[in-house]
Amino acid sequence: MRIACPFCGERENGEFTYLGDAKPKRPFVAVIEDGKGAEGEQDAFYEYVYLRDNVAGEMSEYWYHGGGCRSWLVVKRNTLTHEILSVAAAPGTGAAVVDVAMAKAGTE
Amino acid sequence: MVDFVWNVRSPLQQAVMPGRAGAIVPFAGVKLAEIRDFDLVQIFARRGQREATAKAVKKHYGVDAPAPRQAVSAKGATLIWSGPDQLMALSARKPGTFRPVDALRESFEGIASLSDQSDGRCLIRMSGLQARAMLAKLTSVDLHDSVFPVGTAATTSIDHTAVNLWRSENSEDGSPVFNVLVFSSFADSIWHTIVDAAAEYGIEIETRSAASV
Amino acid sequence: MASQQANRLAAGGLIDRTTPLRFSFDGKTMTGYAGDTLASALVANGVKLVGRSFKYHRPRGILTAGSEEPNALVELRSGARREPNTRATTIELYDGLDALSQNRWPSLGFDVMAVNSLLSPIFVAGFYYKTFMWPAKFWEKIYEPAIRRAAGLGRPSGVADPDHYDKAWAHCDVLIVGSGPAGLAAALAAGRAGARVILAEEDSLVGGRLNSDGGEIDTIPAAEWADAALGELRSMRNVRVMTRTAVFGVYDGGTYGALERVNDHVPVPPKHQVRQRLWRIVAKRCILAAGATERPIVFPGNDTPGVMMASAVRTYIERFAAVPGKRLTLFTNNDDGWRTVESALQAGVEIAAVIDARKDVPARCKALAEDDGFALYSGNVTGVRGGKAGISHVDIGLANGRRTTVSADTLAMSGGWNPSVGLASHHRGRPKWQAEIAAFVPDGCPPGMTVAGAANGELSLGACLRSGHEAGASAAADCGHAGAKHTAPAATDESVAIAPLWHVEGKQKAFVDFQHDVTASDVALAQREGFESVEHLKRYTTLGMATDQGKTSNVTGLAIMAQLTGRSIPQTGTTIYRPPQVPVAIGAFAGHHRDENFHATRLTPSHHWAAERGAVFVDTGLWKRAQWYPQPGENDWLESVSREVLAVRNGVGFCDVSTLGKIDVMGKDAGVFLDRVYLNAFSSLGVGKARYGLMLREDGIVMDDGTTSRLAEDHYYLTTTTAKAGPVMQHLEFCRQVLWPELDVQITSCTDQWATFSIAGPKTRDLLREIVDPAEDLSNEGFPFMGVREVQLRGGMVARLFRISFSGEMAFEISVPARYGDALARNLMIAGKPFGVTPYGTEALGVMRIEKGHVAGPELNGTTTAADLGLGKMMSKKKDFVGRVMAGREALVAQDRQVVVGIKPLDKTRRLRSGAHIIPRGTMVGPETDQGYVTSVCYSPIVGQWIGLGLVERGRERIGEIVRAHDPLRDEDYEVEICNPCFYDPEGGRQRG
Ligand SMILES: [Zn+2]
Repeated sequence: MRIACPFCGERENGEFTYLGDAKPKRPFVAVIEDGKGAEGEQDAFYEYVYLRDNVAGEMSEYWYHGGGCRSWLVVKRNTLTHEILSVAAAPGTGAAVVDVAMAKAGTE
Repeated sequence: MVDFVWNVRSPLQQAVMPGRAGAIVPFAGVKLAEIRDFDLVQIFARRGQREATAKAVKKHYGVDAPAPRQAVSAKGATLIWSGPDQLMALSARKPGTFRPVDALRESFEGIASLSDQSDGRCLIRMSGLQARAMLAKLTSVDLHDSVFPVGTAATTSIDHTAVNLWRSENSEDGSPVFNVLVFSSFADSIWHTIVDAAAEYGIEIETRSAASV
Repeated sequence: MASQQANRLAAGGLIDRTTPLRFSFDGKTMTGYAGDTLASALVANGVKLVGRSFKYHRPRGILTAGSEEPNALVELRSGARREPNTRATTIELYDGLDALSQNRWPSLGFDVMAVNSLLSPIFVAGFYYKTFMWPAKFWEKIYEPAIRRAAGLGRPSGVADPDHYDKAWAHCDVLIVGSGPAGLAAALAAGRAGARVILAEEDSLVGGRLNSDGGEIDTIPAAEWADAALGELRSMRNVRVMTRTAVFGVYDGGTYGALERVNDHVPVPPKHQVRQRLWRIVAKRCILAAGATERPIVFPGNDTPGVMMASAVRTYIERFAAVPGKRLTLFTNNDDGWRTVESALQAGVEIAAVIDARKDVPARCKALAEDDGFALYSGNVTGVRGGKAGISHVDIGLANGRRTTVSADTLAMSGGWNPSVGLASHHRGRPKWQAEIAAFVPDGCPPGMTVAGAANGELSLGACLRSGHEAGASAAADCGHAGAKHTAPAATDESVAIAPLWHVEGKQKAFVDFQHDVTASDVALAQREGFESVEHLKRYTTLGMATDQGKTSNVTGLAIMAQLTGRSIPQTGTTIYRPPQVPVAIGAFAGHHRDENFHATRLTPSHHWAAERGAVFVDTGLWKRAQWYPQPGENDWLESVSREVLAVRNGVGFCDVSTLGKIDVMGKDAGVFLDRVYLNAFSSLGVGKARYGLMLREDGIVMDDGTTSRLAEDHYYLTTTTAKAGPVMQHLEFCRQVLWPELDVQITSCTDQWATFSIAGPKTRDLLREIVDPAEDLSNEGFPFMGVREVQLRGGMVARLFRISFSGEMAFEISVPARYGDALARNLMIAGKPFGVTPYGTEALGVMRIEKGHVAGPELNGTTTAADLGLGKMMSKKKDFVGRVMAGREALVAQDRQVVVGIKPLDKTRRLRSGAHIIPRGTMVGPETDQGYVTSVCYSPIVGQWIGLGLVERGRERIGEIVRAHDPLRDEDYEVEICNPCFYDPEGGRQRG
């Protein structure tokens, strides 16, 4: 398999490490009191940590270009054919600026 | 009390044996050189400081910062793109300095983070008419002229180990010249891998000071 | 010499008669010529019997002239280079070649196991599943050894392969697989257009069937045209012709696996050269021009030596000028088979008869028989007579019901051609049936691939050239190389008419799969027993599962199954095609990565210094670390390690700890970032201070630990364990780029930048005062515990000094740029000489951390929480951090969790073993009484006995309790005391002193 890193160009899959489903977003934690956040946070984190889609078909996955530029990528891939439909950089690669408000909105 | 002597020892000191190696041929197909005595600083733009970093590079080095996948020569330094908003500044070592980042601090204060990698890497230069054939055994990157012309840089892997690879001006015989920065702790091992890959073409080995190249 | 080669023609062929080569087969010396294969040389020498079959040990001869050969498998070379199951048809002859036939004992002519042929009723399909079932205990002692002796083909050498292999990458616009007429035409078209082309040919010669079939292209003889084409291709800088290179697999993203047999054609590879090279070829487009494979007809006795594929007979005559026999018969169901008759006639071989299975034999063929005066029978071959010396007669069942017999020493058979669809189907594609040629052709291809020529069912020469040319031009255009238009090379379209024939019934064994000895009746048995699906047929009968992967047998097998079940061939379908298309030696896959090159190795800055001192090294991950430094007179490692421990505890020692992962964490949000990564706080850490940190995985389990120092407001220096340096770096990048992209933080590994030594022991300061500039204050006040700063060393050096301790002693870690690591080790020896300084290795390091109860890898084992490790209080309650929420789950905070405790045997002379289970006294051993296990052990010279750490249920409440350590692996069971994990200086006065 070959993945086109948005920074490095197309590379063989040996340079990359797979992490899995890119859909779950880490729940946003605003305030901590006595070690605890908001009500229901354990359920939210349980979903984030354990509930993964395992799609036979197109899915978004995290891949890490550790054997190259050390960027985290979001790769849209067909798990049946291994066809790669798109590759995007994670929001915080390099010096990229992220709108914090939008980033948080996206995680809630 | 005795005084202490601080001899420098390259991680490649044991591995690199100047002279000929491999197949006995009239003209070595591969020339390998360990380049020593260099300073290497990673310059990594801070969040939102991409343009400011580029400006600071231009001001400090007098050249435009390397575009992605490029290496550029500046006065006294080579700037090698090493990832998004990151570059490696390679220069001949200034004697008596222990902290090459000190000389850059003012130019990049608050704009980019600086990490001294002068001892974190070894620099190996590969040239000769068979250098490309040899590198085909080491890297999956396409080094064809049409894809990897002079000035191209790549962050890639050799032996599952991350390296910076770039191409500098052709040597006098017209053969391509490739440079690779490898992690120091891996250098001995990777050197042997390189020599094994080059052996069939005949190898000429030397060590050079960064100031002389 | 040439007189030996009784079956060699006086002229013709692509062999070099001026270069005779001596070789030996089964100890008999013979001669061939340069350009021969072992098979063609054996044919030229009149050798018919070349091996015994796998199951029945039936005598076998050469069947084909290519890589599909199922019979002529030999052990090539001798000694360490002996290679079993090598196809004689692909071995290029060299002077001194030495080969042995396989699967026979004591000799090829007289084989004891041929008795299997008489026992054949028990060797039918599925015999593995039926015969050796009971009693189970017979398996190890009787069945398996007997089967292993009898089964299998060649013998491996049993010693390490002395040759070298390597792997390489190649890149191109257009990869062309096969250099027959279609491949050459494609390469010319793509090359002329300016595309970067790789033409891969498994043979040593380009040309494919052009070397065997004659014909004319562009009005010149085909072989001349091929020569000219090769010349033109070699002159193009953008074209690379790779002979002896078989493409064996199609992988994702336009990556192709290929095996180049660089030096298989010489006895021993030249110095510094490899025997074989594995290529990974990355191509934007691929043209599969792999041709087709002629298939046998399944008739009784079709495996007798002397029965050969018609195309192979033609190849031996045309390419190798070697005639397989003196009296030839042909059994065919198609026009192409007749070309063998024409070749044979031209070579002066007598044609005994042609048996054409078709109802309507073309007039052209009839005329040929008439003109040349040989018999033409309409019907089938129903059997052959003869044996290991070859066939003597061919029995014929005529279409009119009568029978006849002709005498002949060779029977050429042609059942039609199977396009080589394998590579086109490596992405699970299934080929489709094409009735006109009675064969499967590709139906869709992996992305980027097209099929040309015979591989696509275009069997005539003209069609091959046209489709190759077209495919080459359009593949080049797809890659942006339009180029000037050229016309396709032209040739006539010879007739390839066929009437399918799969199986001629009879009493004798009729073979479908020659290599695995699968007969037509095995297929029938599989069908009767319900194994009708092709995938079941394959597993039940082992059809197509030998090293030839059924290239001559698969289609025939499923066609017979189709007849038996009354389904059509397309309904019956094919099995899945998987790489490798041709056998590839494991050595080629390993390449350079064997023995000491199995993986890359990392050396510490003091490695060579340690080696000079005779250190024993241990592999920790990729690193080589000094494990201990033996001294003269020491009898074993324990003596050395205990000496090192006591030297540190009573004086001073140092250890290279450069392998710990080191990461620069920089940026204005570096502190906040670390607060979220570690369970304890780091933004509050003052500049010039270090703090021990623990990081969790998001599931609440401990991931790693280490000290992190703040070098500046916006610069932290983080350390990881040796093992987790890579994973932690990856995790931090994930946090930075994915979880919290809003934070201004930059991270970079600097593990290799620094040489770091831990200097420990009560005399540490004495040593340091020798080497550190006298102006530096190292007192408790001037350099307190967990302090960090840069110091001047004498002789002009700057170092980072960290006052941290892993050993529990007064200790510092000192870092200098790695190029000075060797000098620092030597200088520490000089500076410490008055204090008896002792270098120590990882074993002593381990002993001291166990004595102190510090956790390490065996306790940070992916199942433990911070509280399990006794570090629960470190968890901040004021901030969010990775793992905080999940660490609060009920099961992770349960009271009965296994937690870290110290363990020591009651019998002070007993050696404690890690892995031993903790069981309460007076209970039965079992999962329900298992309360934990011993994780780390050492002999403590301070305590004077073996001690250890363990994970024990409710351990902290049970200090002082006596339990059993049960070790079923070593069959040991002994009493131990649960104790405080800190065996040494629990108040910590020594490290703070
Ligand atoms: Zn990349």
